[in-house]
Amino acid sequence: MTADKEKRRAISREAARRRRRVESDVFGDLSRLLPLQASVRAHLDKPSIIRLTLSFIRMQALLRETESAGCNAEAGHAVRFPRGVEAGEGRLFESETEEIAPLDETKMYLKILEGFLMVLSTTGDMIFLSDNVSKYMGLSQQTELMGHNIFEYTHPCDHEEIRHNLRLTAELGCSQKRDFVMRIKSALTHRGRVGNLKSTTWKVLHCQGRVKLCVASSSVSCLLLTCRPLPLSHTLLSTHTFTSQHGMDMRFTYCDQRVTSLLGYRPEELLGRSIYDLCHTLDTSCLNKNHLNLCLKSQSVSGQYRMLVRSGGYVWVESHSAVIPGVQPSRSRPNPSQPLCILSVTYVLSGVEEPSLQLSLDQTFPRYPR
Amino acid sequence: MCCNKHTKKGCFSSFHLRITKKLFFNRLILSIISGSASSFSEASYKPSFLPDEELKHLVLKAADGFLFVVGCDRGKIVFVSESVTKILNYSRTELIGQSLFDYIHPKDMGKVKEQLSASELHPRERLIDAKTGLQVQADLPIGASRLCSGARRSFFCRMKYNKIPVKVEEKETQANTSKKKESQKYCTVHCTGYMRSWPTSQMGAEGEGEADKQDSSYFSCLVAVGRIHSHSAAQVNGEVRVRPTEFVTRYAMDGKFTFVDQRATTILGYLPQELLGTSCYEYFHQDDLLHLADRHRKVLRSREKIETNCYKFKTKYGSFVTLQSQWFSFVNPWNKEVEYIVSTNTVISYDNSRTGRSGHKSEQSGNSKASEDCKKSLPVLPGISSASGTMIYAGSIGTQIANELLDFNKLNSSPSSPFSLAQDKSPQTLHQITNSVPNGETSDMEIPGKSSSEGEPQGASFSGGDSLMGENSQLDLDSVVGASLNSLSNDEAAMAVIMSLLETDTNLGEAVDFEEMHWSL
Repeated sequence: MTADKEKRRAISREAARRRRRVESDVFGDLSRLLPLQASVRAHLDKPSIIRLTLSFIRMQALLRETESAGCNAEAGHAVRFPRGVEAGEGRLFESETEEIAPLDETKMYLKILEGFLMVLSTTGDMIFLSDNVSKYMGLSQQTELMGHNIFEYTHPCDHEEIRHNLRLTAELGCSQKRDFVMRIKSALTHRGRVGNLKSTTWKVLHCQGRVKLCVASSSVSCLLLTCRPLPLSHTLLSTHTFTSQHGMDMRFTYCDQRVTSLLGYRPEELLGRSIYDLCHTLDTSCLNKNHLNLCLKSQSVSGQYRMLVRSGGYVWVESHSAVIPGVQPSRSRPNPSQPLCILSVTYVLSGVEEPSLQLSLDQTFPRYPR
Repeated sequence: MCCNKHTKKGCFSSFHLRITKKLFFNRLILSIISGSASSFSEASYKPSFLPDEELKHLVLKAADGFLFVVGCDRGKIVFVSESVTKILNYSRTELIGQSLFDYIHPKDMGKVKEQLSASELHPRERLIDAKTGLQVQADLPIGASRLCSGARRSFFCRMKYNKIPVKVEEKETQANTSKKKESQKYCTVHCTGYMRSWPTSQMGAEGEGEADKQDSSYFSCLVAVGRIHSHSAAQVNGEVRVRPTEFVTRYAMDGKFTFVDQRATTILGYLPQELLGTSCYEYFHQDDLLHLADRHRKVLRSREKIETNCYKFKTKYGSFVTLQSQWFSFVNPWNKEVEYIVSTNTVISYDNSRTGRSGHKSEQSGNSKASEDCKKSLPVLPGISSASGTMIYAGSIGTQIANELLDFNKLNSSPSSPFSLAQDKSPQTLHQITNSVPNGETSDMEIPGKSSSEGEPQGASFSGGDSLMGENSQLDLDSVVGASLNSLSNDEAAMAVIMSLLETDTNLGEAVDFEEMHWSL
């Protein structure tokens, strides 16, 4: 009896081994079809192979859709350059650059934008990420990220907002823009080295992009985003910007002198004032969102909003802000009672509109002679 | 052609000079573009999921941008990518070789000049010290750092865009005239990029360089990406849902006008400055005072939109218009104090005699004295309304209501942390909190450094938030963050905020990583 049992067990073990071998072979074949580096391929487990295959297939479908949609929808805008048709200088210039430019333009873009490309499905799967994502997240594009769901990598408090931005892909209509800030896991240490996955920190990313609708099959509809960390300092602030510091309640604690030439207020006049008082009422929700982003995510890009000019009228501005710890923070021992403040760089976008219009109480007070 | 395009020495006819210059620029473009490639060619061949061309298309779609290279001295557009046609509706040939300044809004020219400029006359560079957030002057000598390879630029400017797309056959003739024919429309473009400079001697270009001897040894340019700003002014205006018979006002807590939309003038007859600083109660009809005061009280204690009934508002000419308003208190998300009350006012009906100054109407129940006062021409002073005398007591209604609230708050106040303030507004926030559990969220997710997360945080229903009176009157910390953060102690919550903020240090004031950019010549 036992010999019989043994024999049956041996047969089933053998069958199982055969099944596993077949399975491994099939997975191996699949992985060899994928455009992967050999070193990467060797370390992939089966779920990862499936994930990457799914990504690949989806991207191909997306590109087919992009091309066909591109030919139809954008024919009116595209200008085709017939090669070698025109005589003279024009041709000389174009034909050379035409051949070479497209190849590396992409990398140029990503470098200059200082960000990476992310393609998100409607359910939040990161179908595709550009190579340089490892520079920002410290996680490798192919093995660790591609095909995974974004909700596994982002701050839970931001999930609702991300979901909201994904949701509207279901609606038909013209492609819509997206612009939001989210926190994503980063395995980079403060010095920029790749650290342990266990010791991740949050990185604030500004995501901008659009919806890519796929009429043929809705599963291919997705979001195309460029994601970049928000730098606040530039080597040159133009004459049309001013910097300011605020308490966490957005009251001015400091403002640089430029505000006088741009908005007419003297910095002293602004101290202690709330920014909400100085802006157009219809932009209240824009400022509110900006403030909330700062409180929760520590960095924000406001949309365009109107700041009232001292003598009347308003200008359109945009602010890039971040929360910074107060003077001399000690990183190793962050102190809860450390005053946080908001640092803001405000770009003035337009000239003064409707300069004779007095909309708010501040504008009615006469200027006192200096 | 008597000169082969590969010879370095050109003939000195102007045509060939231009060819030479073009060659110079060609090589410049090649170097810019191939420069980035060299860093990749060093690595072993790396297959990628997407061919570059496809990836480029996706990046362009996502970024809605175009690459451009402009020379610093004259703003000459040396290179612009094809995607510019989709964005500005000008063809590449139209733009290349032109001056960038021809396409910039006149008032922004100074700004752009400054960004491109290598002049020593310009003020010292302004940097932000990431630690203190204050501006500091750069210690570097002015010219050097500005021209320093990799110096970063970021600015906004308004660029012209062509309303009618250019057709292939016509572009030769229209190239110069199209600018004049179509009306100039501008869009806001966000330009980010780097300065680069090349010694022109290495480029092998001969013939006349730029007039200035100094400049001829170096060619400086800005390599940047221009992106259409996602909220351009036109769109914002389109989204504001305020109809012609509506106007918006802002009140301080005590009901004094602090902001008046200019549409009010056509409806009420007052200029904004005549209303500013006066109390709204001075204009309300006597019969309506009670219910409006009640609404006022309500709105200060609630986060919801409060609707008033129809009420009469006195116009400048003594007659009344019937309005109906939606009020809500805008509360500072951090310290929970009421900043102001926003009122969207809709006209229900006009008074028949609104156009005339004879104020005798049956709706004016009561004070003929009031109407007489209105006709007196009083000097316009902020804080004192033109309807003086009998209605002055009305102004104190608002002050009283505001004081009530302050006293109420004092009684109920807790330590002024945003995270532990008492939830006396719970019924409102309830409908904002949804119980959605994020997809894929499991309890073993690591939240670095945070001491929070007891279970799933609850998110608010997140509205688009562009309209003033959106789905939710206001987003606030409590409803977005939900219960989990509220249950933390003061210190823990502040600690959580700080820990999540530490990451911002790396984004501020960091030197650009120049090693990354292999710019070869």
